[in-house]
Amino acid sequence: MADATMTIEMVQASQVGMKAIGAGLAVGLTGVGTGVAEMGIGAAAVGAIAENKDFFGLGLLFTVIPETIVIFGLVIALLLLF
Amino acid sequence: MLAPKPMSRMLIVASRDQAVPIIQELYRGNAFHIEEYVEQGREGYEGFKIGTPLAGATEASAELIKVRAIENVFAIRGEDIDAKEKLSQPRIRSQIEQDLPGIEKEVEELAGARSKLDTRVKEFEQKITELAPFLDFPADLSLLRGFRHFSVLAGYTAADVSLNFPHEVQVIKGKERSFVIAVVPEKNKTEAERAFQDAQFQAVTIPEENGTAQARTVYYTEQIVSLRKEIGAINDKLAKIKESHTGFLVACEEAFRADIEQAEAPLRFATTSKVFVAEGWVPAGRIAEISAALDRVTGGKVFVSEQPVDTTHDNVPVEYNNPEFAKPAQLLMDVYSRPTYTEVDPTLVLAIMFPIFFGVIVGDVGYGLLMLAMCIGLWKFMKGDEVHQFLKILRNASIMSIIFGLLFSEFLGFELPWAPVIYSRHLNIGVTEAGGHGAAIAELLIVSVWVGILYVTLGRLLGMVNHARQDHGQHRIKAVLANLGWIMVMWGILFGIWSMFPIPLMPDLTKMPIVAVGLSVGIVLAIICIVLGLIFIARDAVLEVIEIPTIISHVLSYTRLTAVGLSSVAIAMVVNYMSIGMFINPGMKDLSIVGIVMIIVGVLIFLLGHAFNLALGLLDGGLHSIRLHYVEFFTKFYKGGGRKYNPFGMKRKFTED
Repeated sequence: MADATMTIEMVQASQVGMKAIGAGLAVGLTGVGTGVAEMGIGAAAVGAIAENKDFFGLGLLFTVIPETIVIFGLVIALLLLF
Repeated sequence: MLAPKPMSRMLIVASRDQAVPIIQELYRGNAFHIEEYVEQGREGYEGFKIGTPLAGATEASAELIKVRAIENVFAIRGEDIDAKEKLSQPRIRSQIEQDLPGIEKEVEELAGARSKLDTRVKEFEQKITELAPFLDFPADLSLLRGFRHFSVLAGYTAADVSLNFPHEVQVIKGKERSFVIAVVPEKNKTEAERAFQDAQFQAVTIPEENGTAQARTVYYTEQIVSLRKEIGAINDKLAKIKESHTGFLVACEEAFRADIEQAEAPLRFATTSKVFVAEGWVPAGRIAEISAALDRVTGGKVFVSEQPVDTTHDNVPVEYNNPEFAKPAQLLMDVYSRPTYTEVDPTLVLAIMFPIFFGVIVGDVGYGLLMLAMCIGLWKFMKGDEVHQFLKILRNASIMSIIFGLLFSEFLGFELPWAPVIYSRHLNIGVTEAGGHGAAIAELLIVSVWVGILYVTLGRLLGMVNHARQDHGQHRIKAVLANLGWIMVMWGILFGIWSMFPIPLMPDLTKMPIVAVGLSVGIVLAIICIVLGLIFIARDAVLEVIEIPTIISHVLSYTRLTAVGLSSVAIAMVVNYMSIGMFINPGMKDLSIVGIVMIIVGVLIFLLGHAFNLALGLLDGGLHSIRLHYVEFFTKFYKGGGRKYNPFGMKRKFTED
């Protein structure tokens, strides 16, 4: 990476950029993971709620369980950026 | 508190001729949850049958249907109406006798007349649609029928048709297809039809009208206008009736509903030819009052007794027992599941902590004020008990947001004129010069982890209480110890981490004296805790051991309190930077047309951005706060599935007893 023509400032700037990319990847990929996980659960939960409305609370609970994944991504991104 | 209202089982026995006063008194008391009698040969109930409705049930049902029909005509719903005055029983009864038949008749007639007129309007509209294709046909429509030797075909074709026998055709060219009226000799009819069929012919019925299509359409349109006028007159009359009788109608509905519920109560009692037995639940402490009232109305001809409550076999109905301020949170509990009778009822924890979590996540004076304003605005427009409970939850949450906003020193992403009292959440967004204090992210995250540790521990402690109360024998000890095991594993892991890494805001055990083989006191403590904990968990259910990682994920899940909050701060600051830094400030420097446009764009970005962030804050704050309770907290101890306490009686809104 660091060839002879790069100054210290350039290296530092590119490090900041790398951090930003890492933070973006952390949120983006965990978001995709959460989405994929919630896809099946959400569909099943809506089906179950259509059958029996009492299931709403439990259905919501099951649907939001994978939310934690994206929160972890967000935490990592925050730690990286600030 | 932390437990449902205590209930007593009550048994009422009386002769059948006392049924009416007893039912009326129970209904008035609105406290007796009837345990429905089912004929299945229960011990001691041989020879009992389900009772028959009291006299008057059928009449009341018929009347109720009529009243509801009128309410349907007027689109009135009892729950949407504020009661102005409560009608007394004698007054409502006399009004029902005097006024109701008249109103019923009038409304029925008017509604009947209106629906007849509606039907005619529809008929005429249908005719106009039928006439539409013939509008360009200049001659009288009566000329198109009544032939003996000719057949008339009318319809749309996609292509030109040539017929090789004598005929007459009128073609009205359209954009995609033409409308054709053809007169052919009767003997060539089949031939003609086949030729048309090849040109994708769509037949149209020839209207049975005299006169040109134009003239008839004008005539029908006039007719519709005059019919609409008549309908309007009827609607005015109905509106007048609605205005003067709405209160009376909803009161009637309520009175009839009460009549029916009372008349049908014996269907839930066990009866013989002479006596009836009513079993049910009342809040403990009201037994004496209710039995005294029953004694009074029957002149002592009733037997009331309190039965022992067997919490393992009886499905005791559950009524919440919370202080006034915690009542709205019951709505959130019911969304999950009502607690069972023997369970710890966590409504109080939810009522206190939900607004706090919400406040920590939103934590902005501006958004808090906007939400509060929204709450107050919706309070007037939205009717209904549940909606108001929900708005109360939102109100508490927005007040907490304002309080935390003051502590975080935030107003729509801007800094208030004082430094944050607790940790700062101000990110360095749009700050070009170095030296901004920035957000104390690590500290905020650690505080939220502490919240998680305490919550998970509290959940497991409540789990121990629940198992100690509900289970029996060997299983009881194992289940209680398993919950203790979970706590020990979690704290063991914590001791381990603290002994290895110094973490701000957490105990630092790295300097503890070393006991043996290079292990410090903290590490030894951690190992003992984890091993013992694992043994306790495995003794209850071996498969549970694979759930161990959830300890870490559940505790870390509480970091969302910080993470989601910071993301909301970030959006607010970005919106401010974009609107003010990128559009409004440059626009202010140069007040030309371009500058003014830039200012307008900046203001638009500001409004839209903050509206978006407010909606997101409501959703995030609400959903994540409730989820931290439902998923990470309740799963440790709470089962739910209790039966709702539904007393026999009615909260009267429009009538009095």
